[in-house]
Amino acid sequence: MTAAVQAYLPSPRMAMRVWRRNVRVFSKVWKQGLLPQFFDPLFYLLAMGFGLGTYLSHAGGHPYKEFIAPGLVASSVMWAASFETTWNIYFKMEEKRLYDAILATPVEVPDLVTGEVVWAATRAIVYGTTFLVVVAAFGLVASPWALAVPPFLALGGACFGMLGISFSALAPRVDLYSYYFTLFVTPMFLFSGIFYPFDKLPDWVGTVAWFTPLYHLVNITRSLILSPDLGTVLGNALWLFVLTAVLFVVPVRAMRRRLVA
Amino acid sequence: MTGAAVEAHGLVKRYGELTAVRSIDFEVRPGECFGFLGPNGAGKTSTMKAIYGLARVDGGELRVLGLDARTERREIKARIGVVPQEQNLDGELTVRENLVMQATYHGIRADGRIDELLRGALLEKRADSKPQQLSGGMKRRLLIARALVNEPELVVLDEPTTGLDPQARLAVWGQLEEMKRAGVTLIVTTHYMEEADRICDRLVIMDDGEIVACGSPAELKERYGQGSLEGVFLELTGHSLRE
Repeated sequence: MTAAVQAYLPSPRMAMRVWRRNVRVFSKVWKQGLLPQFFDPLFYLLAMGFGLGTYLSHAGGHPYKEFIAPGLVASSVMWAASFETTWNIYFKMEEKRLYDAILATPVEVPDLVTGEVVWAATRAIVYGTTFLVVVAAFGLVASPWALAVPPFLALGGACFGMLGISFSALAPRVDLYSYYFTLFVTPMFLFSGIFYPFDKLPDWVGTVAWFTPLYHLVNITRSLILSPDLGTVLGNALWLFVLTAVLFVVPVRAMRRRLVA
Repeated sequence: MTGAAVEAHGLVKRYGELTAVRSIDFEVRPGECFGFLGPNGAGKTSTMKAIYGLARVDGGELRVLGLDARTERREIKARIGVVPQEQNLDGELTVRENLVMQATYHGIRADGRIDELLRGALLEKRADSKPQQLSGGMKRRLLIARALVNEPELVVLDEPTTGLDPQARLAVWGQLEEMKRAGVTLIVTTHYMEEADRICDRLVIMDDGEIVACGSPAELKERYGQGSLEGVFLELTGHSLRE
């Protein structure tokens, strides 16, 4: 194996050590940390699904609240993984210089990036699955295939985690972080097919949405929760997987430049 | 390459246009305490970072414990300890957990050793405190204890006593002497001449990215006809202030 390839290969063992640190911290703070992010999608479900939904008959062939619930499961994953890999990473990397301490042990940059992304995926499963249980309690789950959702939440979490850590590794100043949410995360939340189907809109709306990861995660959760279709699930999962894998070099390169000058 | 703890030949470190370390040579012998003295910006921290793998080597050769600092970073880091200039303890974890997590990063079990290290750092009673609840001296002692979790053969300390009061400095010196007794090689940067005089077996004085003198404190004082290391330092680096 060439040295150039080796420089990007993470050691799963080392990555798990970084992951374990985050699990340890989360186990202490989850009670304060879990709740706020969990209320967000719940309020959207109540306001849009049960509020607005009362005045709408159907969307995409389903009652409106049923239509948006799987999308909110997907978006809870996006928010969780995005916060984890932007603000939290900024504090660890720049404010507390924690990565300097970790990188002075046998852990290297690719291990660090992998550990953080796997952690973002873990956190995404926790939030997404919790919200899925709520959705089920409201009677909005139509298919037993909903039980297969969590691994795809992890995939989605890894994808949003990889995007977030790429941004954090590249962003030179902390004031840019709010742009990431205002110009990227929030528009995805609004325009990736959670709240309305694309079939009656101009084609370009759907085309733009196709290029966002949230659109694909929404397709997966909506399919599994409402009307399972293997092709839909696997095709969209492949899209997320490819983006996550291809993106890996970006945070590794940028963090190396930043932390191992 | 005969058993030196650290060996540098023509070591160069650049940050963009700036050359922080200009082709320096030095050799640290196993078991000694080796000092790097010099004004701010002399290149001490860059040299330290190259040794512990947080700065790329841009030119020359650097071998640490017989390993190549360019290609065998992971192996080097497994066998050394690092006490950085800036405190970077994990504020989300307790004092004890900081040490346990360090063992985790190294992939070792260190159950009994953690208590021993807490005792050595005089932090037994503060094991369940958060780092931010500790005094400056306690934080520094915890950083040193953290650097010892993996039983390193070499410990790099970047300004270990800067900003500490006299008692806290004495406690840190106690930890350093303890390490030396245990046969650990120490590399220390400092601004304090009396500290270098007291703890270093040999030292180099750096200025503007270059090594301008090398020897034991006694040799240097004799060579430059000065009664103190401070006199030697000012003689060699005492040009106008350059910050």
